[in-house]
Amino acid sequence: MIAFDNVTVQFGGTQALSGVSLEVREGELCALVGPSGSGKTTLLRLVNRLVAPASGTVRVRGEDVMRQDAPALRRSIGYAMQSVGLFPHRTVAENIATVPRLLGWDRARIAERVHDLLRMLRLDAAMADRLPRALSGGQAQRVGLARALAADPDILLMDEPFGAVDPITRRELRAELRRIHAETGKTIVLVTHDPEEALELGTHIVVLRGGRIVADGPPAAVVAPGADAFTRELLGGAQPGLRRLALLPAADALDPAPAPDDAPVLPRDASLADALSLMAERGCDSLALEGASGSLRAGTLLRQAR
Amino acid sequence: MNPTLAVPALVALAALLLPLPWLAVAPNRLLPGQPLAALAALGWPVVVAALLVLAALPRRAPPAAAAFSALAAALLLVGATGLGAGRALEGMSPAARAGLGGGFWLALVATVVLCVACAAALAPTGRALLGLGGAAALVLLLASGLIEPLSLMVEYRARADAVQAALLRHLALAGGALVLALLVAAPLAWAAFRSPRLAGPLGAAFAGVQVVPGLALFALLIPILAALLAALPALRGLGLAAIGPAPAVLATAAYLTLPLWRSISGGLAAADPTAVAAAHAMGMTEARITREVRLPLALPVFAGGLRVAVVQAIGLVTLGGLVGAGGLGALVFEGLAQFATDLMLLGALPIVGLALLADALARAAERRLALPA
Repeated sequence: MIAFDNVTVQFGGTQALSGVSLEVREGELCALVGPSGSGKTTLLRLVNRLVAPASGTVRVRGEDVMRQDAPALRRSIGYAMQSVGLFPHRTVAENIATVPRLLGWDRARIAERVHDLLRMLRLDAAMADRLPRALSGGQAQRVGLARALAADPDILLMDEPFGAVDPITRRELRAELRRIHAETGKTIVLVTHDPEEALELGTHIVVLRGGRIVADGPPAAVVAPGADAFTRELLGGAQPGLRRLALLPAADALDPAPAPDDAPVLPRDASLADALSLMAERGCDSLALEGASGSLRAGTLLRQAR
Repeated sequence: MNPTLAVPALVALAALLLPLPWLAVAPNRLLPGQPLAALAALGWPVVVAALLVLAALPRRAPPAAAAFSALAAALLLVGATGLGAGRALEGMSPAARAGLGGGFWLALVATVVLCVACAAALAPTGRALLGLGGAAALVLLLASGLIEPLSLMVEYRARADAVQAALLRHLALAGGALVLALLVAAPLAWAAFRSPRLAGPLGAAFAGVQVVPGLALFALLIPILAALLAALPALRGLGLAAIGPAPAVLATAAYLTLPLWRSISGGLAAADPTAVAAAHAMGMTEARITREVRLPLALPVFAGGLRVAVVQAIGLVTLGGLVGAGGLGALVFEGLAQFATDLMLLGALPIVGLALLADALARAAERRLALPA
C-alpha cells in the first residue's frame, strides 16, 4: 500500500532521513516510534507529500507520490495530528465536511456522512453546530479523527493524535482507534513517542533513531531477546520480557495435557502476561483457558517468551 | 454612587445652576453677545432638567428609566434653549442672533454622556429603542420650529445648500482616501506576509508618515504635485491638480495606511498555524487556504483597523479645507477666518456626528464578525 525505497530527506544542511526503506501493507496499523528528532514525523509526511524526498521514491497505492497531484493525493489520505488544527470559524459539522466538500460531494451525502461519523466517534449529534472552542480536548480529538475519516480514505496518517489529552481520554481514544481499525480495515500509519501506545495499537512496529530505521516487524518480534538493544530498551523499558509476554496470546502456548479440575480459568483472548499474573496471584503453575481443552503451564509459558 | 454616572451628572448640574454663559444675545452674527445664564435664559425648565438628571443617579433606578430620563433632560435642554432664544430676541432687529454658550454645550455633552453611560447596562434592543427614540425626538424638535431662533439654525438656513454639499464632499474625500489607502496597504501587507523580510522596512515607512504633522503633509503635497504635473502634464488630463481634492486625498490616505497595514498584517498572522497546517494536509490549495481559512480568521482583526481608519479619515479630511479640497473643513476654516462661531460649528458638528456614527457602525460590524464566545 505504501512503500519507501531508499528515501533520504534533507532540511537545510541536516539529514532528517537517510536511506530509509519500508513497506506498509494494506490493512496494517503501522506504528512509527522513536525519540524526538528521529525522523518519524518526516517519514509520515512523505506519504502525502507534505515533505518531498531528496532522493529515493515513495509509492502510495503503487504510484510514485511525486508523480501525483499533491492536493488530490492529500484529499485521498486521512490526516490527524496532535494539535488537531480544527478551523475555529467553522462548526464541528463543517470541519468534518472539509474533504468531502473539496471532493465536491453533494449536500445530502455530506450531511449523511457527518451524521454517521459523529455516531461512529460517539459524539453527540447536537455538537454538530458548535464551534471548536466549545469542545473539550478529547472531543476536539474525536472531531479531528472524524474529519480525517470523512471521505472514507483507505489510508489514515496520524501524527501523535492522542498526545495532548489526559490519560483517561487517551485510553478511550486508543480503544476507539483500535475499534475503527478493526471495523474498517484501513491502512493506518501512526506516529507516537509512547512505546506502550505503539505496542498496544500497532500490528507493525517501526523504530527510528537518528533518521534510520533500527527495527521493523510485528510487535512481539521487535522486543524479542535477539532484537536490537536500543529498540528493546525503548519499547521494553527495564522489563522487555514482560512487555513481550503481554504481546503474545495465551492461546498459542496451550499444552495438550488437561488442566487440573481446580485450576483457575483464563479468558479466551488473554495474553501470556495475563496468564503469568494469574499464576502469581493464585500461587499455581497451571491454568485452564476458557473454551479450550489443554492447559497453560508455567514452564511452556516461559519458554514462549524467549 | 457609580462614578461613571456621578461625574457627568455633576457636570450637567454645574452647567445648569452656575452662572455660566448659556445664551449670548448679540446685535449681529459677528459681534460677541451679552451672556445669559441658564436660569435667566430658560426659566423653570432648568429645574425640571436638573431633576431628570438626578433621577438617573440612584443605584436602584432601572437602567432603562435612568437612560430615558437623561435623554429627556438633553432633549428638554435643547427645546427650552430654542424657546429661550426666541424670547430673548423679541423686539430686536432681524440681524440679531442668540448664540449658544459654553454652559449649554457643557450641559448637553454631560447629559448625553450620562444617557450613554446608563444605556451601557441595557440589552441591545433597549439601546436600539433609546437611539430610535432620541432620533425621533430630535426630528420632531427640528420640525416643530422650536429651535429655529437659535443662531446656529439661522446660520444653517442661510447656508443649507453649502453645508449639504460640503457633507457629501467630505464623505467622498474620506471614502476616496480610504479606498486609496486600502489599495496600497492590502497588497503590501500580503507581500510582507509572504516574505517577512519586507515587514520591517514597510512598517517603518508607514509609521514614519505618522510623524509628519498633518498640516505640513497637506501643504507639502501641493509643491510636490505641482512639480509632478509640470514634469508630466498628461496627468492633468486625468483631473489631477496641485490644489483641490488630490493633495487632500493623498495626504489622508498616507495616514490611513498604517492602521490598515497593521490590521491586515495582524489579521493574516492571526490564523492559527495548526489550522493552516491541517488545511494544507487535507489537500486545500494555497488559494483556497487563503480564501477559506486565512481571510475569515483575519476579518475581525481587519475590521478593528478599518474602524480606526474610517474615523481617522473623517477627521483628517477636514484639513483638506486648507488645500482647496472643500468638504466640512472648508466651513470650519471659513468660520475661523471670520470669527463666526456658528459657521465653525456648522462644519465641526457634522464631522463629530459622522465620526461617531462611523465608529458605532464599524463597531457593530466588528462584533458581528468576531467569533461568538
